[in-house]
Order: sequence, then structure tokens, then C-alpha cells
Amino acid sequence: KYPYRVTCFLSHFYIFCGLTNAKAAEYLIRDGPNCLTPPPTTPEWVKFCRQLFGGFSILLWTGAILCFLAYAIQAATEDEPAGDNLYLGIVLSVVVIVTGCFSYFQEAKSSKIMESFKNMVPQQALVIREGEKMTINAEEVVAGDLVEVKGGDRIPADLRVVSAHGCKVDNSSLTGESEPQSRSPDCTHDNPLETRNVAFFSTNCVEGTARGIVVCTGDRTVMGRIATLTSGLESGKTPIAKEIEHFIHLITGVAVFLGITFFILAVFLGYSWLEAVIFLIGIIVANVPEGLLATVTVCLTLTAKRMAKKNCLVKNLEAVETLGSTSTICSDKTGTLTQNRMTVAHMWFDNQIHEADTTEDQSGASFDKTSITWGALARVAALCNRAVFKAGQDQLPILKRDTAGDASESALLKCIELSCGSVKQIREKNKKVAEIPFNSTNKYQLSVHETEDPNDNRYLLVMKGAPERILDRCSTIIIQGKEQPMDEEMKESFQNAYMELGGLGERVLGFCHLLMPEDQYPKGFAFDCDDVNFTTENLCFVGLMSMIDPPRAAVPDAVGKCRSAGIKVIMVTGDHPITAKAIAKGVGIISEGNETVEDIASRLNIPVSQVNPRDAKACVIHGTDLKDLSQDQMDDILRNHTEIVFARTSPQQKLIIVEGCQRLVSHTDTHTLTHTHGAIVAVTGDGVNDSPALKKADIGVAMGISGSDVSKQAADMILLDDNFASIVTGVEEGRLIFDNLKKSIAYTLTSNIPEITPFLLFIIVNIPLPLGTITILCIDLGTDMVPAISLAYEAAESDIMKRQPRNPTRDKLVNERLISIAYGQIGMIQALGGFFSYFVILAENGFLPSILVGIRLNWDDRSCNDLEDSYGQQWTYEQRKIVEFTCHTAFFVSIVVVQWADVIICKTRRNSVFQQGMKNKILIFGLFEETALAAFLSYTPGMDVALRMFPLKPSWWFCAVPYSVLIFVYDEIRKLLIRRNPGGWVERETYY
Amino acid sequence: MAKDAEKSTWKDFIWNPRTREFCGRTASSWGLILLFYLVFYIFLAGMFCLTMYVMLQTLDDHKPTWQDRLGTPGMMIRPRGESMEIIYNPQMTESWDMYAKTLDNFLSPYNNSLQAEKNDECKPDQYFVQADSGDVKNNPKRSCQFNRTLLEVCSGLEDRTYGYVDGKPCIIIKLNRVIGMLPGTDGQAPFVTCGAKKEDSEKIGELAYYPKNGTFNLMYYPYYGKKAQVNYSQPLVAIKFLNITLNEDVNIECRIISNSIPPGSERDKFAGKVSFKLRINT
Repeated sequence: KYPYRVTCFLSHFYIFCGLTNAKAAEYLIRDGPNCLTPPPTTPEWVKFCRQLFGGFSILLWTGAILCFLAYAIQAATEDEPAGDNLYLGIVLSVVVIVTGCFSYFQEAKSSKIMESFKNMVPQQALVIREGEKMTINAEEVVAGDLVEVKGGDRIPADLRVVSAHGCKVDNSSLTGESEPQSRSPDCTHDNPLETRNVAFFSTNCVEGTARGIVVCTGDRTVMGRIATLTSGLESGKTPIAKEIEHFIHLITGVAVFLGITFFILAVFLGYSWLEAVIFLIGIIVANVPEGLLATVTVCLTLTAKRMAKKNCLVKNLEAVETLGSTSTICSDKTGTLTQNRMTVAHMWFDNQIHEADTTEDQSGASFDKTSITWGALARVAALCNRAVFKAGQDQLPILKRDTAGDASESALLKCIELSCGSVKQIREKNKKVAEIPFNSTNKYQLSVHETEDPNDNRYLLVMKGAPERILDRCSTIIIQGKEQPMDEEMKESFQNAYMELGGLGERVLGFCHLLMPEDQYPKGFAFDCDDVNFTTENLCFVGLMSMIDPPRAAVPDAVGKCRSAGIKVIMVTGDHPITAKAIAKGVGIISEGNETVEDIASRLNIPVSQVNPRDAKACVIHGTDLKDLSQDQMDDILRNHTEIVFARTSPQQKLIIVEGCQRLVSHTDTHTLTHTHGAIVAVTGDGVNDSPALKKADIGVAMGISGSDVSKQAADMILLDDNFASIVTGVEEGRLIFDNLKKSIAYTLTSNIPEITPFLLFIIVNIPLPLGTITILCIDLGTDMVPAISLAYEAAESDIMKRQPRNPTRDKLVNERLISIAYGQIGMIQALGGFFSYFVILAENGFLPSILVGIRLNWDDRSCNDLEDSYGQQWTYEQRKIVEFTCHTAFFVSIVVVQWADVIICKTRRNSVFQQGMKNKILIFGLFEETALAAFLSYTPGMDVALRMFPLKPSWWFCAVPYSVLIFVYDEIRKLLIRRNPGGWVERETYY
Repeated sequence: MAKDAEKSTWKDFIWNPRTREFCGRTASSWGLILLFYLVFYIFLAGMFCLTMYVMLQTLDDHKPTWQDRLGTPGMMIRPRGESMEIIYNPQMTESWDMYAKTLDNFLSPYNNSLQAEKNDECKPDQYFVQADSGDVKNNPKRSCQFNRTLLEVCSGLEDRTYGYVDGKPCIIIKLNRVIGMLPGTDGQAPFVTCGAKKEDSEKIGELAYYPKNGTFNLMYYPYYGKKAQVNYSQPLVAIKFLNITLNEDVNIECRIISNSIPPGSERDKFAGKVSFKLRINT
């Protein structure tokens, strides 16, 4: 149990003297240093191995091992084994290793940026030991130490406060409350997070001073417990990793099916068992898309780079896509949705509510500043205010300047500075003569000043504080610059304004002043603040000002975009329900016109219990209520409300909420019985209290500027500008890359068929091999690469932010339809194109198709050097091999030619290319690049020896063109049918 | 429990009695998709046949479009032996019998009677050109006689063992047929010359060439293809090893010497030359 209730029975002696040095040293040995145990870091070699053997790489490794196996069999049984399998195995291994290194370094780069976030400055703490104050390293603080903190300090450990003077702490990183909390020695609550006598490790003391006894250090602190909770959580696989797994299953299925079929066929055709096994392995390996791993990695890296430019730093490459699949975002309030800075939002004077500008760049509407009342209010706010700007920030915009002082006073300071000019000058003109600071008993703050007018010898008393207390002290009110007696009507309108502003979740302050009569308080009157010797009654009420931590400017728009993208935005905050609801309404998480149960009840004037919860689309749930909810009730709430706000939630509850969302299955999916996935949940947050949820989420998004180290470590993605709107960019990029990866994979897989079929026909009908291993590799790792990657740059076909998030059970990255299109249809046309050029070359060289069937045995016989062709000419082995390799080259070139059409049709999945346009410059470059590469491989002198590729006659380049045209026309017709007939057979069978 | 569910979904996937689905599709769905693929592939086959037909129309019946890979004609020997190795023992008939049989078969079309019946006696030492006059093909084209007797002792007529039994074997060398090839200019006929590879130069002993000097007479060229020149008799050269060293591998290389045939590439060991191994055991 957390020892927050440690009551101080200790003697005064202890409170003043603290621990002895000996005891402190003993405790330090017993408890260890006062710091968080860093989460176990994965050793670099493990990270590297994960890149080498994770996901897609497994497929390639299997291929490589099979290749080596096949080569071993050949080496054992044949005298002169063909090196193809060995080379292929080596190339496959090299590809995996190179890609693994590439993605490893890519991620290492991101983690380096992460490292730079870490605050390396060692913290100091002021402790009292043996009666002497000493500054020691915060790590050496031990339980039982007497610690002194003052405004601006970081709390060195969990403290039980024993004495405090106006001490306020900022707990926002722990609880999400944006308002500083006052600390005092009284135990006010059972919950350690709520009670006032505990100050927490790593929160900040904003003002005042306090003395406390250290109750917990290091991992035993509240912060430490959350950090431990976080590092104990396992984060699941990313959606893209699941998709790739599914893809591997499909590919393996197809490969094994083809392999076994042709194995049986080969045995029937009279091949020996060993030969059949070699064929089996060859076919399985031929199905491995060698270039795809690199393509996918490069595509994800490109997107990660693009996102980093837009201030989304992705720690894990695979997380790039996750935001795109996200269907629920659980967002923290403070700092993410709001600016994490109190700002004056409204004012009430002249019996009217005025709205202040709360936007970050002061682009909002302003109010009438000409009223005399406003002048008076501004003067009170400026004078009765202890906050000052820190020095040396004159060139900064006012809102960006740092201040010393209480958050609400700083808000007032900035507000007045913005609208009335230098507060410093106002204060200089009105010299302060006396001051009573704020305290919790009288709930006001007062100061007495000289007036601006040197001839006026009266003193000006200004006061601010809790509005009802201020009102009690006022007998008049200033309206349009004229003092009027405070009547009942005025009081009622004050009450209404106060309620309204309070209902907006704003903190309201009342302001009043009094020009003290000269006869009673002549110049030089000695004001005594301890024993008040002047009037504090019958003042003149000036107005109200209310403050809130306002939403960031871009957030409402971003929330709107998320909503139109079908993403549910849930607010989860440690802050109070009223504030949370106000902000939720302000940013559109609770949209206009939607009511909570409580709203309906108050509108209809009936008790809350009589309202049908189904009528309310929005709801605000308090953390204490959450505790009593069963899992079913929780699911019910998440399912039946579209707009949800969770307030006063603890870190554990945040975790429960995230888990609840992950369980949730969308409505459309409930009828299918085989679902296993729930929603994909993104969590944003900056505080330590968010980090367990960040880790548990499918994608945790931390804040780069305000975020705590713990939250950044737990997150998968970091918003460098702390702006929720950047998430929308992430969603957009994620969805785009998912679509584009589909296209990329469709493109890459298609050429698998023209690569496999030559080998199949070589086995079955004994023709000379139409396409060799080297040329296959030239396609997969050469010509196909740039066009496949260029598809990552393809613009979206329609507004991807207007459609629902993908359903992870149904919308797969690679599905049967994609395989059917790529392998069954386009791939077949491509294969025919390749075979056509193969037959053309052989026929033009004298081997007509009729003679080819069954010729393989003689063709591949080295000692047969007078093989007769269809014309009666005789060929040596080497001569006909040159023709064969020329065929390989031509087949290769034909694949390039048909892949032109393929990359163009893969640009779109539904639209016509004519609608989409050819604006993708990288793709156009890719078309030229692959052609140039093909020409280079064919025509460069020396290639005949190096890669066994031979120059082609110009006419042979055109053999596959009709097939290229056919692919284009066929697919345009297919897409036309899909567009014309939505939901029709063509779409059901071929839309991938 | 979970495993049971897994199993039933697998079973359901293969045959789901509830929806009557086989492998995730109903019968009509299977029918449609199979019909589609059938039609699609028939169409593709049609398209392929069409392009092939068009391509075949562009070909000449008598001469292939390209002959650039046959610049240097290949050479070959008979008998071929087991991957260009002829190894036998004169004392053991069964070790050389198949060579003699191969030669018998190979030479039977060259019997003088057959040659006289089918082919013309041509004027030697000059090309036997039978040009077409414009579009009118001068077909079928006639061929010149190559009589078996030209090979003299290697003809197998007197010595039916082709010298194998004496340890003086005959090897027949031929030059690959290439349509239109003219193997010599200025009336210089190409001829075959054989020698041993360096280290074996002492072992090869004396050689005899038939016909004299091992020439391929020019009258057998040019070749017009098997369609136009049905009875073409490929000229042969026989070599006889007169006193080859016994019980040792002898690597022999024969080349064609001609003033118009370019030397073949390094990589092709059979372009314009032929290498083989001969070993006579005792």
C-alpha cells in the first residue's frame, strides 16, 4: 500500500534536522538510487536480428535455404551442377541482409532522434541532513529525507508535505490536470493522487515553498509505478505486420500448391525423384517475390520520411501504416487537444459576456475595448497580479513568453499585455503600497496602489478572487464607466454570467476596485496588511474574467476530419468532467447538437435516471463511475455512444478504456462470425499517466515538446509539434501507403507468372528454357524495383479522408482477388507476351515451334554439336545456347514491355488512368529507367559473358507490345465495369 | 476449445453445409468464376495463336530470317563416342563394334548406287549455284554426288571394321550445314587438318586424310536448305590414325582451313574445329 498517510508524529527536532548522514547512506544502500529503472533496452544485435528474420524476411530465408538444398542435391548427384540454385540462394540471402541492414539503420536513425529528447541535465535536490541544508544529486535522495522545494523546482521524490507556503504543483504530467494544485500538510483525500499533502516525483513546483519528507523513491514512486506498469505491457503486432503475415500465407499456399502439382506431374512424366525434388524446390523458390521485401521497406521508409517532414516521427517503420487503419483515437486533453496554457477566454463587464481571443496566433475575434469599464477591469487585472514576464524575451510574441507566477495570473498578464500594452508601465505608474496575497481562507488577493494622476492623492484598492466572495464585498457595480448601486437584478445577472462561464469549464475570477477617500486614507497612510486597518468592504464591482486552457487552433478541424474519415475520437483525461466536456465541445469531440444524458435530463427537467441512455449519443464518464462498470457495461458504452469523454481517469483506467476499444467490433462486422480483430486504436498523450495506454494501443502517439520521456519511450510515433492535427496527416499518409502498397504488390506479383511459366513448360513439354534465373533476378531486383517503389508516390484515387477506416478482418492488404488478377489474368497475358517473343526469336533463327517440343534433351547435350533446325542447318551447343540466351534476354525485355502497361494499370484500382492522369513523375521516371536498364543489360558489351544476355534485334522489342496493349485495354474495361456496376460480379471478383 | 473452433472453421472452409459453400464459394459462384477463366483463357489462346500465325507468315520457307549465329559453321565427328571420347580395345570386338555400326549407318546414304540414283555428277572445284530467277523459285534443287568410295579405306567397303581392329581407326569429320554458306573464295576449297594438343603431339603419329588433303569440294556448296534440296549429301572427310600411341589418352583437334570462314569464338569449342579424345587400349 502506498504510504501517503504517513502522519508526522516526529518531533520538531526531526523536522528541522532531517536524517543523519549515516542513516541516509544506509538507506541509499538499502533502497538504491532515486531514479527510475530504465526499461530493459533491447540489445542492438537483437534489434538487428529482428530486422533480419522478421516478417517478410522469413519467406526469403526459406527460399534461400531451399535453393542451397537444391544445389546440394545437384552437387551430390551431378558431375557439373548448374550454379543457378547456388547463385539464387546467395542473391536471396544478400537481398535479405541488405534490406535488413537498411531498415535497421532507418530505425536506428529514429531512435537517435529519440535519444536527443532525453533530458541529460542531472537534477539537484535541496535536502536537510543533520540540520544543515545541502544540495545533493537527486539520485541520492532517500526515503525519510527532509526535502525543501520552491517554485520552479522539480520534485525529487514522492513527498509527504509537512509545511507549505503558498505551494502549488503542476501535476499535469501525472494526472492531466492543467491547473496547478496547491499543497498543504493536510490529508484531504484517501486517494493519494487527490490528497493535498503529497507531492509527486518528477512533477514541478510552480510557486511557493514546501518542506516534505520523502516517502518513496525511484521505482516505488507513483511515477515509477506507472513506468513499471508501462514496461510490463506487451504491445501487439502492428496491423501491417499481420497483413504481411497473411500475404506470406497466401504466397506460400500458391507456391506449395504449384510446386506439389508439378512435382507429381514431373514424376508422372518419368523424371527421377531427385530431379522432381529439384523442380519442386525451383518452383517454390520461383514464387518468392525477391524484390518485394526491398520494395515494401523502401515504400514504408519513404512514407516515414514524408511524415517526419510533417512533424510525425515514426519510431517503428511498420507503425507508418497503423494510423491509416485506426478506427478509434483516444486522445489525452491537456497539451494535445489544448495549448496547455491558461488563457483568458471570457470577460463579463457592462452586464455582458465578452469573448477574448484564445487562438495561438491571435487571429480570433476581439471585443470592444473602448468601454471605460474594460479600462478599469484591465487596470485591476494588471495591478492585482504578481506574475511578471521573465527577462530577455522582448523579441518574442507575448503569448510565447515565459512568465514567473501562477498560471491564472500569467493568463491575465498576457491578456492585459496584449490588449492594453505594457503591464510593467501600468505598474510603474501605479506604485504598489500594500498587498495581501491570496490565501485559501479569504479567497481573494488585494493590493493598494497610488493612482496614475499625480494630482490625485487618493489610493486605489484593487482586489480579485473567487467571484462570490468578491461580490459579497461590493456595494456598487460599474456599468459603462458609471458606478451604480448593486441591486438584486444586477446580482442575478452576475449569477447567470458566473454560472454560464463556470459551465464552460472555465475558472472564473471576480474583480473589484475602490478609490479610497482621501480624508480617511491620506497620502502616506500606513497600510497594515497583517492586521488590516483599511476597508475591504463596499467596493465597486468591475467584472469577471474567466480562464481556460484553450484548444489548439487546428484541433477542431482535425477532429472534424477524423470524424469524416470514420474515426471515433474519444477524450480520455485526468481533468475534471466539466472542463473536459467544455473542451470536448470546443474541439468537436462532442459535436454541436449532441447531448449527454445529463443534458437531456436538464433540458426536459427530469431526473437523469428517467432518460433513455440510447437517446444520448454523447457521454461524459467520470473515473469513479468507471471503476464500478463491468466489462459488458463498458463495451455497451463504447458501442452505443459515438462521442465519449472520460474524465478523472487514472492510468490503469486509461488502459482499460484502450482495451475496451480494442475489443470493440464495428457494427457492420457483428454479423460475421469469424471476427477476431477489434478496432485498431491510437492513443495520444504526453503525460506519464498516458504511457501505459500508449504502450497498449495499436499505435501510441506521444508529444515531442511537452511529452515526458516515459511517454515517448512507450509511444510508436511522436508528434514533433505537439499538434493533434498532425495525426490527421498520419492517418492520411497511412491510408495512402496501404492503398499504394496494394498496388505495389499487385505490380510486383504479376511478373511472377511470366517468371514461373517458362520453367513449368521447360519441365512439361521439354522446350529449351525460355527464361533463366539470372534474367528473373534482373527483373525482380532490377527493372521492377523503381516502378514498384514509384507506386508509393501515387496520389490517392479519391478522398481517402472521406471513407471509413478499413476493416482489418475484411480489407486485407493482399487478398484472393489480388492474386487472381495478378496471377490468373494479367500475369497470364504477360507470360504469353514473353513466350511470343521467345517463339519469334527461335523461329527467326531457324527453330520453328513445331520442332521445339521435346527438343530439350538434345538441346542441352553439350556433346551434340550438329543439332538440326527446321531448315536443315546444324548448330553447335554454344551457337544454340547463344540463341537460347538471346531468348532469355528477349523474354526479359518482353516482361519489361508488359510491365509498362502493368504499372500504368496498377496506378489505379477503380478509376481509369485517364481520370487519374500521369502526374506521378517518379513513375514516369521509373518507366524510362526500367527501359534504359533493360537496354543497358542487353546491349552493353561484355554482358554476354557477365550475365549471359545478348543484344536484341530492334524488332524483337516490339513482340510483346500487342500484349502490353491488351493488358491496358483489358484492365480499363475491367475498371469501367467496376465503376459502372458497383457491387457487381466484376467488383466482387476482381476489385482488390 | 479454441482448437475445436479452429478445426471447425477449417472444415467449414472446405465444405460448409450451412451455406453450401465449397472452399468459400457456392456452386454457382464456382461455376461463374471457372466459366470466366475458361472464356478468358480461350480468348488468350486465340490471341496467342493469331500473333503466332502472323509471325509465321513473315518467315521464309527456305531460309531463316537470321543466320548471324552461324557465321562459323560447327564441326562434328562420327562416331561421336561418349561425350567426344572414343576409347576401345582392338582385341575386344564389343568395345568398338558400335563405332563400326554407327559408321555403317552413317555412311549408308553415301553408297555409290544411291548417290548415282538421286544425285548429279557435278563439275568439281566450283560452286554449284542454282539461283532463283527473281520470284520464280528454281525448286527442287539438285545435289552433287558424294560417293562413299571417296573415303577409300575409310569407306568401310573393303575394311568393314574401319581400321578399328588394327588399332588404326577411321574418324569421319563433317562441317555443319549452313544455308547459303560459301566456304572458300578464289576456288580454294576448305580442308581439314588435324593435330594433337601440345602435350600429346608425339603420341598422335601419322594421319591419312580421305579424300586427298582432307578437302571439302566446293561443288557441294552452297546448301539450299532441306526443303529445297531434299537429297543434299553433306561432304565428309575421313582421317585414319596410322600409328597412334597405345594405352594413352590422345587429345586431337581438327580444324577447318578456309579463306572465307571466320575463326570461331574462343568459347565455342566446336565452331570451325572439333576436339575429341582417342584412346586405344591393349
